[in-house]
Amino acid sequence: MNLRAGLLTVLAGALALAALPWLLSDFLLALALSCIMYAGLAVSWAMFCGATNYLSLATAAFFGLGAYVTAWGAGALPYGLSVLAGGLVAAGFAALVGAAVLHLRGAYFAVITFGLGELVRHSITYYEKAFEGTVGRIIAEAPESTTVYWAVLLVSAAAVATALVVREHRLGLALRGIGSDEERAQTLGVNARRAKIAAFALSAFFAGALGAAMAVRWTYIDPPTVFNPFIGFQTVLIAMVGGAQTILGPIVSAVAFSLLTEFLRLQFPYLFLVILGLLLILLVLYLPGGIASLFVRWRWGRRGA
Amino acid sequence: MSLWFELAASGLITGGIYAVVAIGLNLQYGLMRILNISHGEFLMLGAYLAWLGYSVLGVNPLVFLPVVALVMFVVGVAVYRLCFFRIVSTAPAVEVIEARSLLVGFGLLYLVQNAAYLTWGADLRGYSFLGDPVEIAGARFTANRLVVFAFAVGASLLLLAVLRFTLIGKAVRAMMQSPTGAQLVGIDTRFLHPVVFGAGLALAGVAGALLSMVYEISPAMGEPYTVTALIVIVLGGLGSALGSLLGGFLLGVVETFGMHFTSPSLKMVLSYGVLIAVLLARPKGLFAR
Repeated sequence: MNLRAGLLTVLAGALALAALPWLLSDFLLALALSCIMYAGLAVSWAMFCGATNYLSLATAAFFGLGAYVTAWGAGALPYGLSVLAGGLVAAGFAALVGAAVLHLRGAYFAVITFGLGELVRHSITYYEKAFEGTVGRIIAEAPESTTVYWAVLLVSAAAVATALVVREHRLGLALRGIGSDEERAQTLGVNARRAKIAAFALSAFFAGALGAAMAVRWTYIDPPTVFNPFIGFQTVLIAMVGGAQTILGPIVSAVAFSLLTEFLRLQFPYLFLVILGLLLILLVLYLPGGIASLFVRWRWGRRGA
Repeated sequence: MSLWFELAASGLITGGIYAVVAIGLNLQYGLMRILNISHGEFLMLGAYLAWLGYSVLGVNPLVFLPVVALVMFVVGVAVYRLCFFRIVSTAPAVEVIEARSLLVGFGLLYLVQNAAYLTWGADLRGYSFLGDPVEIAGARFTANRLVVFAFAVGASLLLLAVLRFTLIGKAVRAMMQSPTGAQLVGIDTRFLHPVVFGAGLALAGVAGALLSMVYEISPAMGEPYTVTALIVIVLGGLGSALGSLLGGFLLGVVETFGMHFTSPSLKMVLSYGVLIAVLLARPKGLFAR
């Protein structure tokens, strides 16, 4: 599949999905929204982490920052602008943080990105309590739920399109080079530091924009909701179960996970998570390449790998 | 003066528990590159075992401690055999082991925590054990906290001694320094890995049993300890047991003093602040040479 065909597929898919609000009931639309949000998060996570083998747990931080941009700007900023601003703030934060911590690898990087997320969450909790005298914020004027749906769809489609472009671009090559052997990539002239910071910020942009877009769904925003580590973990799980080196894999597994979660969690909350845990272990042990390795085998050979 | 003493002492008591939890996790990571994110869930299991022992069988939790350790050791060997053995033996590179074991850890976290919810429900449980206050140098502590501190430090020191002086301890340290080299001189990985993994869970179980004497227990109690243990092992250096002991004490004291002089809601900000400062200044841990 070349880049043009890929982008056209994304465009066609997004247009088809954009028609869903006229076809589905409110409940099913909410379900579709959750699938699309996780697809966007997982693809943008895999854009950086899948290629470079850096395990970032900071998604919840970017998502929450984006949501808080919407909450702080509510009333002052129009919805579309606050989605954009949420993405930009998250990307700026990622670039700053990336410059400081991207020399760490492996478990250190995972722990510090998780720690940063928690640090931001607790700092915002403290700031709101000490200086604003509130625990959470109410978003009074929420846009229509269809508007939110289209915004989330737009951001997610943009994330997929960007992932496609990055994969073909020099940046994607550099990232894959870093992933297989960082020192060799540097020897061959890749500016690893710049490539990593750029890709980290790019992937944070989409997480932040999705957080900003989703914030209005909650009407009441407080740090435990929007910085929920579960959002970050779920994203990592979805991407890795789907196959983080691919783009289609995370999308497929985002849909599967969201459907499973939605239908089973309400009925059997604890048993569902027990089964989810078991499923996850079995998948990692017996299908380590992710869901994508199933269809890669009989559709197309691995490209450039 | 007595305020400072009291703060330092209660910081050390908290730190002692942190150290026990962190040393187990650190051994697993240092030896096998398994970052077991579900470590805290096994701490929770240990706490429930001690609670069951006390409330159903009427056994003194201190007497029950070896039983908890043994049960959790067996559980650990089984978990290693069922989950991590396959990852360690099939993964092509160390980074792959780290990533996959992290995922399996998440799976275990969901599995164990929610199985506990199904079995025992979400209620807080507890029992009172040695709740009388004791006065030392003008500061008052409940007796159980002192017992917990003594046992936590005792368990950590015992483990450090085992690592330093026994043959198996030397084998473990050799494997941490150079896995290939250790195998070349005849150290059996297939024996050592399950044993160390089991020992890690046994330590987590003991920590949980100790905590159950002081605090109320619930199926979600483990998670914060996992996070704290991660902070502690990064503070003390991945793979260093002594570093974890000192890192645990440091974090306990910093948290206690920080909370006293600023505000309790800043507790997590303080611990993560310490973590990030240390990682930026000394990426290999505070006590690395």
